[in-house]
Amino acid sequence: MKLLSIQLHNFRQFYGTTPELVLAASANHNVTIVHGNNGAGKTGLLNAFTWVLYEKFSAAFSSPESLVNKRALAEAEVGAPVECWVELGCEHGTTQYRMRRTCRGYRSETEISQGKSELSLQHAGEDGRWLISDKHLDDVIGRILPVSLHQYFFFDGERIEQIVRSNKKSEIAEATKALLGVEVVTRSIRHLGEARKTLEKELERFGDPETQKLVQKKQTLETELEKLTERQGQIETEIEHHQTLRQEVAHKLREFEAVREVQKRRDDLEAQQQALRDALEQSRVRLKSAISTQGYTVLLTNAIAQFRELDKDLKERDILPAKVKQPFVLELLNRKRCICGTELEEGSEHYHHVESYLAKAGLVDVEESFYYLRNHVDNIVDRQVPKFWETVDGEQQKMGDVRQTLSGIETALDNIRDQLRSSPSEDIRNLEKRHEEIDGKIQSLNREQGETSQKIKDREKQVEELRRQIEKHQATEERQAQTQRRVAATEQAIARLKQVQENVDLVFRADLERRVQEIFQRIVVVPYLPRLTEKYELNLIEKTTGQERAVPASTGENQVLSLSFIGAIIDRVRDWSRKDRQSQWLMPPDAGNYPMVMDSPFGSLDETYRRQVARSLPSLANQLVVLVSKTQWRGEVAQEMHDYIGRQYVLVYHSPKQDVESDFVDLEEGRYPLVKPSSSDFEWTEIIEVE
Amino acid sequence: MNSDAKKMNVMEPINSASPEIARLIKRVLQAEADKLHTKQPRGINDDILRIIKEEVQ
Repeated sequence: MKLLSIQLHNFRQFYGTTPELVLAASANHNVTIVHGNNGAGKTGLLNAFTWVLYEKFSAAFSSPESLVNKRALAEAEVGAPVECWVELGCEHGTTQYRMRRTCRGYRSETEISQGKSELSLQHAGEDGRWLISDKHLDDVIGRILPVSLHQYFFFDGERIEQIVRSNKKSEIAEATKALLGVEVVTRSIRHLGEARKTLEKELERFGDPETQKLVQKKQTLETELEKLTERQGQIETEIEHHQTLRQEVAHKLREFEAVREVQKRRDDLEAQQQALRDALEQSRVRLKSAISTQGYTVLLTNAIAQFRELDKDLKERDILPAKVKQPFVLELLNRKRCICGTELEEGSEHYHHVESYLAKAGLVDVEESFYYLRNHVDNIVDRQVPKFWETVDGEQQKMGDVRQTLSGIETALDNIRDQLRSSPSEDIRNLEKRHEEIDGKIQSLNREQGETSQKIKDREKQVEELRRQIEKHQATEERQAQTQRRVAATEQAIARLKQVQENVDLVFRADLERRVQEIFQRIVVVPYLPRLTEKYELNLIEKTTGQERAVPASTGENQVLSLSFIGAIIDRVRDWSRKDRQSQWLMPPDAGNYPMVMDSPFGSLDETYRRQVARSLPSLANQLVVLVSKTQWRGEVAQEMHDYIGRQYVLVYHSPKQDVESDFVDLEEGRYPLVKPSSSDFEWTEIIEVE
Repeated sequence: MNSDAKKMNVMEPINSASPEIARLIKRVLQAEADKLHTKQPRGINDDILRIIKEEVQ
């Protein structure tokens, strides 16, 4: 992220609207210096950045509940709102943002109150068009520069050593992990684990696969079916064989003079019996067909009565047939001329009038359906119902007659059998006995044939049902296999991410530690070494005795350590995200492009450290905004930073004190006021740019 | 060891994965990075489950 500008309005010491402070952001001149005495608003300006971005304040910022400028409040009417805002311009990737946080203060006779703040955000793409951003503002800012990291980039130099103080260590360690991509990997592993659990639950729901059981059952049934079909074939052969035997017996009986005629009569009767049975079967088929195709007509009596009632009603109301048909109206509209000769221009009043008949006109298909139904109903009542009853009665009559005739034939056949059974000739009696045995066998085979046929039908039905079930189970199995593949892939992803996590720990942490050590040792003279623990906590150790031990560092050394740490993080993240394209999956977007806004960065440092820090800073961050007092902006600091300065501003403090002593800062560009007497009873600060 | 050489190996477990797994991991990392700024990212479990289901057919 690159900071482009900041502007304040009635924010703390800054009365009215300040000029827009454009911030240096070019590659060679990336430093903006803001000069100001104590109390002029340096800390206020630092907090203007953190307030607009995160609604947060630094520890040194007193009374955050009083943001609105006191003079502006005093000048306003009692109870009238006084607006205070900070507007920040920044650039991230190829998008520019303008964000403004506003809050309102109110003065009553006795006290001052302040409302909640509101943030508005606009963004402009590469085409330069500005749009109100509809995204959740915290999300946008969170992605650009996460709130957990803000203390790295906006800090009070006099308190910066707190970064390495023990009570802040874990917080800073978390932020470091987020910057290095460790947190992304850790969260990915955790959430992939959750996803795996969900997938495994899905897997349980599929239950044990029963497909195998079903397949076995189907195979058993199919084997059974094969046997039944085979038996069916055998039965047919057996029946044929017994019929041949029967014919042979009949033939032998016919050879006996005494019973020749009787046997012939029996042959004749049996032929008749067969013909009558066939006729009976034919009648049964015809009856079945009549009932299934025509039977419904006799159940329509009520429906037909209702239809006729409706028909009568429509006729009486003159609705059917419709007098105007839709095709006719459409034809008139297409022809653009009415039957009366009036022109029908599209959109004209006449056109609309004729067009309105479309809604009134009868629908052709509805009308046609109605006529068809009317004819059909007449046909049912007049012809189909009588014809149906005629068929049913006729067939039933016929079947009754046939049954009666059959009964007569059967009696006659029984008589013949009795006659032959009691024949005086033993041969004839034996032949008849044989004849009866064969008949019995044929009947038994017929029964078996029927039974087998039924069994075959049943088994075929069961096999078909099983086939459907198996198909369904196979589909479930496919889903089950798919879920198993997903579980396996998730496990693999977790395993690989754990390796990445180890690698990041080993490589990035070691690399970061090395860089902190380099920067730190370049600045300080003490033989201390920064160490980054496994938990990403920063410690200072010394090993002059050969053993590593933690050292009680001075405030100044801790400040240098903190700066080295921030510098090293920015430097490493920038380096990794640029050199190793793969790291883009771990690092936050536009990683490595970080600004640094520092209030009094040389607070407790002596001259040597100040020079070293001043020399290191411009190369550590991509962009630097440094807020300094006159005493902090000494020769060596100004000298070291000189080449990088792009913009300079002076905070001019207007004091209401009568005997205030004016103060100045002498810059290369000339002398600039730091303190001036105020023209009113209020203190306020004015910002001027160093030309 | 040369730090650059080691650095290139950081992502090795992802680079050496099958295209399917590599895509899955990268999309998960992206989804996490998008919600990194919130302590308890809303809907992240659903997002990741969706990614897995989309990537592994």
